[in-house]
This record gives sequence, C-alpha cells and structure tokens, in this order.
Amino acid sequence: MDRRTFLKAVGATSVAGIAGCTGGPTENGESTDNASDGESTAVAVVYATGGLGDGSFNDQAQAGLQRAEEELSLQTEHSQPSDPSDFPQFQSQYAQSTSPTYDLISCIGALQKDPLSDTAPQFPDQQFMIVDAKVDEDNVESYQFREEEGSFQVGHLAGLLTTGGLSTGAASTTEETKVGFVGGEELPLIKKFEAGFKAGIKHVDASIGVTSNYVGSFNDVARGKETALTQYNDGVDIIYHASGNTGTGVFQAAQQAGRYAIGVDSDQSKTKSNYADHILASMVKHVDVAMFDAINGVVEDSFEGGTSTDLGLDQDGVKTVYGETLGPEIPEDIKSNLETSKEKVASGEISVPTDPSSV
Amino acid sequence: MGMRELPSIGRRRGSIVGAVVLAVAVGVVLRSVMGGPLSGIVSKGALSSTLRLSVPIAFAALGGIFAEKSGVINIGLEGHLIISAFVAIYAVNTTGSVWIGFVAGVLASTLLAGVFAVVCLEFRADQIIAGLAVWLVALGLAPFLSTVIYGSVNASSSMSFERITIPVLSEIPVLGALFDASPPVYLLFLAVGGSWYVLNRTAFGRWVQASGENPQALDTAGVSVRRVRYASVLLSGVLAGIGGASFAIDLSQFSGNGQTMIEGRGFIAIVAYLLGNYNPIGAFFSTTLFAGLQTLQIQLQSGFLPSSLVQTIPYLTVIVVLALVGRTRTPDAAGDHYESGEE
Repeated sequence: MDRRTFLKAVGATSVAGIAGCTGGPTENGESTDNASDGESTAVAVVYATGGLGDGSFNDQAQAGLQRAEEELSLQTEHSQPSDPSDFPQFQSQYAQSTSPTYDLISCIGALQKDPLSDTAPQFPDQQFMIVDAKVDEDNVESYQFREEEGSFQVGHLAGLLTTGGLSTGAASTTEETKVGFVGGEELPLIKKFEAGFKAGIKHVDASIGVTSNYVGSFNDVARGKETALTQYNDGVDIIYHASGNTGTGVFQAAQQAGRYAIGVDSDQSKTKSNYADHILASMVKHVDVAMFDAINGVVEDSFEGGTSTDLGLDQDGVKTVYGETLGPEIPEDIKSNLETSKEKVASGEISVPTDPSSV
Repeated sequence: MGMRELPSIGRRRGSIVGAVVLAVAVGVVLRSVMGGPLSGIVSKGALSSTLRLSVPIAFAALGGIFAEKSGVINIGLEGHLIISAFVAIYAVNTTGSVWIGFVAGVLASTLLAGVFAVVCLEFRADQIIAGLAVWLVALGLAPFLSTVIYGSVNASSSMSFERITIPVLSEIPVLGALFDASPPVYLLFLAVGGSWYVLNRTAFGRWVQASGENPQALDTAGVSVRRVRYASVLLSGVLAGIGGASFAIDLSQFSGNGQTMIEGRGFIAIVAYLLGNYNPIGAFFSTTLFAGLQTLQIQLQSGFLPSSLVQTIPYLTVIVVLALVGRTRTPDAAGDHYESGEE
C-alpha cells in the first residue's frame, strides 16, 4: 500500500476536478473558419461570475451574443470564471490567442474593470468591450446602464401598487404600505438600483416604508430567501431584488409568503417561470443590446475605442417589462402613470439620484 | 476565574449557555441602540429562519462528530454537502420524486465518505490532506457535472418538500416554529437526539469513543478498530448527505458558482462541533447560535451601521466565543493511524 502513489492519484483527481470547475474556454462556434480570412468575425466572451443559467445578467448578455450569431457570420468562444481572480487570466488568454485571432473580447460585469485596465494596455491592437464599467483605454469600448432610471420605474410601480392594493390568484398585498429592496453585494453599482427604487417610491408617496437589505453575496439562495421572508413577515408587500442568483431565494420567499416580487436584468417571469405568479415586473437591462451593438460595430468596422455609451430609459437600455402572468392584472391607469414618469425621466424633467443616501 | 475549579462538563455547559445569553444580549442592545421594535428578534418567523439555516450546518456537524470521535478527522464535510446537494437536485429532476432525490443525495455523499475512508484507513493517507481533496473534488465535480447535464453551473428543480404543520402546537407564539417546518427540520431534531443517544448510551457509541481515545484498548477488547472507523466515517457521510440534500431540495436549486451554494457551511459545521465539544446537543446549539445571528443581522441592517459590517457579526461572534470560552478537548488518537498489532 503505497500511500504516496495514492496521494498523487488523489491530487491529480482534484486538480482535474478544479479544472472542470473553472471550465476553461469552451468552444462554441459552429464555424471553424479562421477569423483572419476576413469572412467571419471571432468574438470571445468572459462572463461575470454567476455563470450562464443565472436567469438574469449573464443570460441577457448571451441573448445578445446569440442574436449576433444568427444575424452575422461569427465564431464565438466563452468562459465562465467562477472567481473574480480568474478574470485577468481569461482576458489575456483570449488576447494572446492566434487561432483564431479574436476581433473582439467582451468582458461582462463591473468586476472586470480593474483586470481589464491592466490587460488592455498590454494588448494595444486587441479590441475589447466592457459592460457595466468604464475603462479609459483607446482599445476599449465601455457600455454602462442608467440602472437608477429603470429602478425608478419599478419603484414607481411598487409604490402605486402597495398604496392601491392588488390581489391576484396566488398573492396579494397587505393593509400596510411597505416595500422592500434586497441587494447582492453592497457595491456602488447595486446602490444605483436601490437609489432609483427609493426615488420612485418617494415619487408616489414619501410616507411609504422602504426596507433595504444586502445579503452580501450574489449566489446565496438560502440567505436571499431568509432575508426576503424577514421583510415579508414585517408587512412588506413587494420586494425588488438586485442580487443575481440570490434573487431566486427572494422569489421563493414571495411564493411562500403569498406576496409579490420584482425581477431584474432580464424578464424573470420567463427565465424563472416557476415563480411567474409572483413576479409583477422586471427591470430589464438590455445587456444584449450592448453586446450586439459592439459586435455589429466590429463587423462593420466602426469600433471606437475609448468611448463610453450610457444606456438609459431614453435609449431603451433599461426598461420595465411586466410579468407574463401578472402583467394583465396590473390596472391600466397605473401603467399609463408609469408611461408619464418614463417620459419625464427620459426628458430629464425628473432627475434620478444614484446614491441611496441622497434620496 | 472561579470557573476553573468546576468539572469540565459543567464548565462546558456553562460556557455554551453563557455564549448564547451573551449573543442575545448583544443583539438586544444593538437593536435598541439602532431603534426599531424588539419583537422582530424573537418572533416565530425568526425562529423558523434560524432552524432552516441550521439544517445543513447541524447535520454536517453531527457527521463530523462521529468521524472525529472515532479518530478520523473529516475536514471534507463541505465536499459532502456539495455533492449531495447537486445529486439530490439531479435525482429529483430525473425521477420526479423529492424523496428519491433525497436518498440519492445521501447515497452520493456516503459513497464519497467511503472513498475517503478507504484512502485514510487502507492507504493511511494524511486525513487532513485527504479531507481537503474530498472538498476540492466535490467543488470541481458538482459544477462540472451540472455544466455537462444542464449546460450551466446552476440547476433548478420545480419541486420541494411539503411543509408539515402540527395542529394546535404550531399556534404557540414563537415556539410554534418548532411545529411548523419542513421535514428536514424534524429530521434534525431526531438526528440530534439520536446521535447523543448512540454516542452515550450504546455499545457502538462506546466503541466509537474508544476508537478515538485509545484504539489499543478497543483492539485488546476484541473489537476491530478499522470496522468501527469505517462505520463512523460512513455515518458522517450519511449525516452530511442528509444536510446537503435537504438544503438543496428545500431551495429547489443547486447553484455551483464560486464556493457553490454551500458557501463554507461545512467548515462552519466543524467550528460548531468544536464549540460544542463533540457533544451533538452542544453542536446543535452552537449551530443555532450562528444561524440565529445570521437571521438577526438581517434585522440589524436597517440601522446606521454599514450592512457589510453587520454581515460579519455572526462570524465575529463565533470567533470571539470560540476564543473566550472554547475549551475543546480533541480525542487523543484523532488524526492518527492505527494498525492492529503495531506498537
């Protein structure tokens, strides 16, 4: 019984296991053309931690990539890093790749900002795009969203519904006028959601109670659920979450408590259809539009590094999408109210704060 | 301190009670300083939440007790939780039965424990290294399998346990939460009592203790140390597996990113049973202390402290309690190999 041999075997297995976990770049293109022949464009995507199948942010980005694949001649590859410390490795791995040579490397998520600020200057000929952050380099296109504007809309909706009351098959509001917010990690980006939401509620009535909690993770369903249940037990009617996968727990809590929730990033009444009876609406962030525009720009040779594009309500970069099941139950006068406030925000008549403390 | 003269058992009990009282007191003070009603802290909802958050940690802790009491330190509890969580969801989806999924999750974890036992007992691997390997293998394997099967590290199912509500008893204020819960919570009560009984009142329990304290004596008495250790390690796999499978099925989901949905609960379990000095009941209360603080911090967040600071309260408290009152006595032979006939 040689334990050294055995340990080696165990070690090798675990290394293989970890490698499996990290995933490595996955070949995903049906086209095998060499990108440099000019016929197809090669695009590599580094997704945010949270991975595909999160039913929100990454899936929305993937939708843009898929649209580009259908409409343009593309060769694509992607990776799903499980930890932010893997970002630099994937970014430079794609930048160094020669077969194919990538025409564009898409970096999804604010946490890629610092790694990309290091990587981009090392590969001045490589074109990058980043979503949710601004990187001041000549070879990076930055796309940012005015999440606070979309969140203002759903805040307006939540405020009107908790005041007016709503009762549908599986859920109903309480006598109290209270709403809640559940955030993932307490980052400036997530605070924009909170700020917009609070401003939207205040726009209805400053006396509506708002409870805000941060779970401290974008991936802890269990604690997302407990946090939301605590709020619902406290009389909260509607919870808006900006917490990635943690939000699945918020929907489960809504189901258990028989109340409502508002989704984020993509139409979650579709991506999390099990909970469609409880999802009033979603604050959709069109990461897919940013993704498609950037790829299209590269295909049409109009890539402009160093630029930053802000997508708000005005450009349909963010918008409120009513839930598939519950949308028809929401009174028409509330919907028209929301249209009015949307125009006011888009025209700048209402300015939405980005910091919760200034609401 | 006068405490030192007390017999060790009494002192230990005293310190756990002291720790719980201290934690509650800290919570109450913080809450009243920050404003807001106190009712939220001791409510039925808060107790239910504490129990649900306790399930994976407490089951893993019970498993850890059996393994370590028998002399095998199972540091891979986290890995057992991960693998059972994923397999449970997969089996629920393929069979359409919550309970078959549950059993499958437990079996997967037991199988992993079996491999660990063979590595440690037959091949005499270092238990800590092998335990870490169990964790790392599960951490890689579960998300990998999920990607292969579901195309994503996250997998969900559409089924969950039905809640069991005991009439009348569930109406009791606050404590009613004990009678209005999902099956894993009731199973946990049974497992805590059962583990205590097995360890302290049965022949097998005495063998387990002897195997960890003085394996030669056990061997001399004609009981195979190896078999006792195999049984204990497998039992730790079963218990941790119940924790992981319950956790995932209750949430109808496995999420495999980063540290997966288990997020270190297996390691917290180790702290919990050390804090409870290898006593199942002590481990259960240490777990509820931690889980209760997790619930409490949600309420505290509405105050003026930054929420990221408030989120550290459960961890800080556990560290402080462990440092101040933790007088854990590790079994003498824990971590050592034993070969019959060796001197």
